Amino acid sequence: MKLYSLSILYKGATKANLLKAAYDLSSFSFFQRSSVQEFMTFTSALIVERTSQGSRASVKEQEYLCHVYVRNDNLGAVVIADTEYPQRVCFTLLDKVLEEFSRQVDSIDWPSGNPETINYKALDIHLSKYQNPREADAMSKVQAELDETKIILHNTMESLLERGEKLDDLVAKSEHLGNQSKAFYKTARKQNSCCEIM
Amino acid sequence: MCLWPSGLPYCWVFFTRKKFLVRVTSHGVLKMAESEEEVDVLVQRVVKDITNAFKRNPNIDEIGVIPCPEARYNRSPIVLVENKLGVESWCVKFLLPYVHNKLLLYRQRKHWLDREALVDITCTLLLLNPDFTTAWNVRKELLQCGVLNPEKDLYLGKLALTKFPKSPETWIHRRWVLQQILRQFSVVGRSRKQQQQQGEAEQADGERSQQLSDHLARTLHQEMKVCSDAACRYPSNYNAWSHRIWVVQHMAKGNFKVFHDELSSMRLWVSMHVSDHSGFHYRQFLLKELITELSQTPASTTTCSPQHQSSTVPSVNPHHHSDTQANGELSGAEAAGEDERQLSLTTVLHLFHQEMELCSDLIQSFPGHETLWSHRRHVFYLWHQWRREHQHRCSNNGSSESVHLNNSDPGLTEVGAQSCAGRGESVNGQRHASEPMEIDRAPLPDPRDSKRLKRGVLLPAPPGLPCEHSFVSSILDRCSNPEQRRFALAYKKWLDTVMGPQP
Repeated sequence: MKLYSLSILYKGATKANLLKAAYDLSSFSFFQRSSVQEFMTFTSALIVERTSQGSRASVKEQEYLCHVYVRNDNLGAVVIADTEYPQRVCFTLLDKVLEEFSRQVDSIDWPSGNPETINYKALDIHLSKYQNPREADAMSKVQAELDETKIILHNTMESLLERGEKLDDLVAKSEHLGNQSKAFYKTARKQNSCCEIM
Repeated sequence: MCLWPSGLPYCWVFFTRKKFLVRVTSHGVLKMAESEEEVDVLVQRVVKDITNAFKRNPNIDEIGVIPCPEARYNRSPIVLVENKLGVESWCVKFLLPYVHNKLLLYRQRKHWLDREALVDITCTLLLLNPDFTTAWNVRKELLQCGVLNPEKDLYLGKLALTKFPKSPETWIHRRWVLQQILRQFSVVGRSRKQQQQQGEAEQADGERSQQLSDHLARTLHQEMKVCSDAACRYPSNYNAWSHRIWVVQHMAKGNFKVFHDELSSMRLWVSMHVSDHSGFHYRQFLLKELITELSQTPASTTTCSPQHQSSTVPSVNPHHHSDTQANGELSGAEAAGEDERQLSLTTVLHLFHQEMELCSDLIQSFPGHETLWSHRRHVFYLWHQWRREHQHRCSNNGSSESVHLNNSDPGLTEVGAQSCAGRGESVNGQRHASEPMEIDRAPLPDPRDSKRLKRGVLLPAPPGLPCEHSFVSSILDRCSNPEQRRFALAYKKWLDTVMGPQP
C-alpha cells in the first residue's frame, strides 16, 4: 500500500502546467528514481490534459493506479498509487488538497505558475501522512460524499490517447523527459515492467 | 567519475550482430578492438573497479543498473553515489558474458585463476546475475578453505537481493552460509561443555561463548532485515518469506520470545500489504508454532515456558501464579501445573481472538482483497482444529466456549457470552467510534481483563461459528463492493460446507 506521487496542475487550453508536486520514491531502486520521477510528472500532466473538466478518473498502468480529479475551474490533481491503496481515500486526498491549494494560492497565478514560484508547502506533508490510509482518517466519512459509479476507469494509458496517437511517440517527443529516462522507458517497455530493467 | 589517465579508453560500442568490439579512440575514429587480450584488459579493469569500489566504501547498501544505452563519456561504467553502486547498462552486455565464460573455463580446468581473481570475478558475476549457481558453488569452496568469511558472502547476497529480490540461488546459498555459522556455533558450544565437565571452564571461554551468542543474535536480526527489505521490494515474495520461516525455525528454535516479537512486529506490515499472501502465510506459520508450543503437555510447559510467557504475553499477569497460591485454593505442584495449563489456554485464546479481530478490522477497512479472506479461513480452521484436539480441556457452551477452570466461577460463562456479544457489536461497525485502532502498537490488555485475571477469570472471546456468520452478514448488509461480496459469500459457503458439521 503505497503512494508514489501527488501533483497539482493547471489544465490549460492545450497543455497541463505543473504547479507543485511531491514524491515518495523510496521503494524504487536508487538509480531509477530520477527517471521514475520524470515519468510520474510526464504521466500526471498527460492524464490531466486528457481528462475533461469536472470529472474524476482512475487510470491503470501496469501495477500502478493514477487517480485524477480536474475541477470545473481547470485546477487538477493527480495521485499515483499502487493497486492496493484504497481508491476512495485517493479521491478524498485530491479533493482536500485542491481545496486547500485554491484557498492559499491566488487563481491569477495558476495558468503561468511553476513549482518554483508557487508558494504551497503542504503537499509533502499530505503525501507522507496518507501513506497509511488509516492514520489519514479518511476511511469512513468519504463513503457518503463520493459516488463511485461516476469515476471513469481506464484500464491502460493507451485508452486516454486519441486515434492514431501512440504513447511511444509522446515519450520520444517529450521535452520534460531526459535521455536517461527515455532509455529507461524503452527497456522497461521491452520487459513490460517498470521495475526490472535487465 | 574517474577519467582514465592514459591507455585504453572506456568508450565502447558493441555491435551485437557482428559479435566483436569496436572502440572509439581519442580521435573519434571507430577502430576494432585489436585482440582478445585488449578486451581482456578492459574487462578486468571494470572488474577491478567494482572490487575497488567495495574497498573504498565498505557501506555500500544497494546495487543497480543505470539506464545508459551507450557510453557517452570516457569514464568508468562503475558509479558510486551515496553508498549505492551503479553499473551503466551499456557495459553489462559485454561484461557479463566475459566473466561468465571465464569462470566456466576455470571450472572446466581450461584456464587457471588465482584465489583473488576468483573472488573478484564471482563477485562481479553474482551482482549481475545472482542465479548463476556455479559462481555460488565456487564461493562455497573458497569459504570452506578459509579464503572468504561467511559474513562477506552474506553481504554479497544481501546486495544482490537489492537488485534481484527473488533470486532463488541467492536465498539457497544464504541458508548454506547460515548453516556454516550455526555449525561453528554448536562446535564451540560443545567444546565448552566438555571443558566444564573436566572442570576447566575458563572465564575467557565463557566470554567467547557470550560473544558467539551475541553474534548469532545479530545475524538473526540482520536476516530479518534482509527478508523485510526483499519483501518490500517485490510483492508476494515467496522466496523471502520462506527464507524467513527457515531462519526462525533454525536460528530461534525454542525461543518463543522471537516468535512473539515477530508476530507483533508483522502486524503493521500486513496492515500495509493487504494483498500480500506470502506475508500472511508467515503470520499463519508463527501463530501455529506458538499455539503448538503453548498446547504442549503441562509438564513440559511448566519446565520450559514460564519465562517466555511472562516476558512476551502482555495480557498475562506475572503475579497470577503466586496470587492463586496465596489464596490457598489449591496446594503445591498440582496448583502450579493447573495454573500453567490455564495460563497457556488463556494465551492461546488471546492469540486467536487478536488474530480474528485484526482480520475483521482489515477486511472492513480494505474491502475486496482475497488474501484477507483466505487468512480468516486459515485462522478459523486452525482454531477449529485446536479446539477439537483440546476438547477435554474446554467445555462447549453453545455459542461461547470457555476454559474449564478448577474453581467453577458462576460468572464464567457470562463473561464468555458478553465478549461474544461485544464482538457482534464490533462487527456492526460501532467499534470504530469508541475504540482506537491498534495497529502499530503491541496490543494492550483490556483493563477489565486484568481485573478478571486477579479474580482468576480471564476470557477473551473465542472465535465461533455464530460470530463468523454474523460477521459475514454484516459485510453483505452494507458493502456494495462486488469483489468483497463475492469473497464474503465464498467464506459463508466454506463455513457451511466445511465447518458446518461440527459437534
